[in-house]
Amino acid sequence: MKNRILIVDDSFYMRTMLKNMLTDAGYDVVGEAANGQQARDLATETKPDLITLDVILPDNTGLEVLKDIRQELPDVKIVMCSAVGQEVIVNEALESGASAYIVKPFSEDKVLEIVGGALQESGDASA
Amino acid sequence: MKSREQEYRELFMAEALEAYDAMSQHMSVLEKRPGDEAALNEVFRLLHNLKANARAMGYNEIGEVAHRMETIFGQIRSKERPFAGSMVPVLFSGIDVLGGMIRTVGANQALTENLPLIENLDRVIAGEEPVLEEDSEVGSEEDATRKLELSDLVYIPIKKLDHLLNLVGELIIDRDRVLTLAQEVGDPTLLSVTAHLSRLADDLQYSVMDARLVGVGTLFNKFPRVVRDVASAEQKQVELTISGQDIQIDRNILQIITDSLLHLVRNAIGHGLETSEERTKAGKPAIGQLTLSAQTDRDNVLIRITDDGRGIDVERVRRKAVERGVLSRDAASRLSEAEVYTLLFEAGFSTAEQVTEISGRGVGLDVVKLAIDSLGGQLGVESKLGAGTTFTLVLPTSIAVKGALLFELEGHPYALPLMHTDSVVSLQSDRLHVVGGTLLAKVLSENIPVVRLADLLSDHDDALLPADRSKLVGAQDIIITSYNGRKLGLIVDRFLRQQDIVIKPVSQPLDMIDLFGGVTLLGSGQVCLVLDVPALTRLFLARRP
Repeated sequence: MKNRILIVDDSFYMRTMLKNMLTDAGYDVVGEAANGQQARDLATETKPDLITLDVILPDNTGLEVLKDIRQELPDVKIVMCSAVGQEVIVNEALESGASAYIVKPFSEDKVLEIVGGALQESGDASA
Repeated sequence: MKSREQEYRELFMAEALEAYDAMSQHMSVLEKRPGDEAALNEVFRLLHNLKANARAMGYNEIGEVAHRMETIFGQIRSKERPFAGSMVPVLFSGIDVLGGMIRTVGANQALTENLPLIENLDRVIAGEEPVLEEDSEVGSEEDATRKLELSDLVYIPIKKLDHLLNLVGELIIDRDRVLTLAQEVGDPTLLSVTAHLSRLADDLQYSVMDARLVGVGTLFNKFPRVVRDVASAEQKQVELTISGQDIQIDRNILQIITDSLLHLVRNAIGHGLETSEERTKAGKPAIGQLTLSAQTDRDNVLIRITDDGRGIDVERVRRKAVERGVLSRDAASRLSEAEVYTLLFEAGFSTAEQVTEISGRGVGLDVVKLAIDSLGGQLGVESKLGAGTTFTLVLPTSIAVKGALLFELEGHPYALPLMHTDSVVSLQSDRLHVVGGTLLAKVLSENIPVVRLADLLSDHDDALLPADRSKLVGAQDIIITSYNGRKLGLIVDRFLRQQDIVIKPVSQPLDMIDLFGGVTLLGSGQVCLVLDVPALTRLFLARRP
């Protein structure tokens, strides 16, 4: 079974790049969300194995979305994506149950390493 | 084929230009209301994205400026300091410099670091006074030291390529003629030379066709801006998703469908998608989804415009058709859903109650249809009430050469474009039935009206005589054509073959008859008329007994 991934990022460019990297590596990208509301809706609808979540989203901070999705889907792995400069939010995200984080700009190897690692992690690793 | 790098670059450019426009707007809001939180959050978010995307593309000069700007806006956003004083002109010039850098990337030129700005931004971050300079001096100094470089790209007026394509068309026709003659003569040396000539002509044809191809993205990437403008004018929330930008198509075809696509997108936002309140009430996400996608399908390019809006109300279209006197109540109620949708493409047909400034009326769908017809393409629509609508444009990749089915009628060759050919069947006459004076053939459990093409082409002012099955003896060669969701079977004398043809416009006075989309010359030197399926279908509907 292919691992199913939901991509959340407000930039179409970023989503396309992540999607290509993940799809090429054999993952099943089940959805793309551009804001918090879509992220919640799609997460509930597609029940992915892993979500890549941008920390800064238009209608909400990524952090609130993270907490909401965590409550709804306790087992889903969440990897935060952020450019440098937002370390404070990333730290808080890790404390709120994110599995890992990727710093933009990211290399394909790095993304696959972090996503693969997060998926292998046992279910009780996150609070 | 376009590489992924190019695709990323185009996406980056489209988003960066959009971000620049949006940031400029938010900056003018902040000038008036320095504490406007929505504007501050948006500028911060856009700078953050621009930084990340620029760094991913390797445009570090943009990243450096955007990163510092983001830091300052982060401080303002978290109320550490106000948007005021000497930082304001620095931030404005920062936005301007970013805009200039984005345009530089767009023009394929090398980026240069803007040190005075970076130093000023660093001063602002550190809480120091920036040094304000005259921008113009910096600019002129840069201009003076710029190196001269010639681009690897040549811009060619499309007219020159049109001319080249016409010449290639003539060459292909002569090539077929020479090939046939060489076969008749049978001389081995002549045959081998003509075979070589033939390959060269093929290569030349594909090279010229290829030179005219552009990515659909060159048109699609203009739409984020359009969608944003139309959505804000219509006071709707819309998210646009674009895919298939790298699908290649002839530049002139793209040009011809530009207005159609614009119209369909405006229509989708104006009439297809609901307002956020309506959507929420209907239990849908508040933000409407609009998708613009392209894909290849054999020799064609499919372009789809999909919205998740209210869908087409079939009953309302029926009522409207009756009100407008297009159809009787009875006829309207008998139409299938697919047939009802085709009514939308009739001239002047509109279902929207509100006429808005941007999307206009439903008028225009007929114009869209005509534009697609003129290319030999097809326009289709699928819709589900409450769930959304999809318009599909089926377009040829190139205008030069078309796949066609050749057949014979009363001793003359004719051609039908494959684009409008659904299938080809050979049926015994007892498999055809007469219903209401019209022949019907059951093909794959679908009843399709059938007509003898010879009858349809003769005396075309009068109604057709009721079909007489006894005139048909033995197996009948039937070409099933399809236009606007309507199928029609044409009985011909004999199928010949499938062939790529170069279509030339018909000269006067044959031109008066719109049944012929053009003419082509076969290798034998014979003139072959190319039938126009839309016109044939309309003629059949007008003449059916």
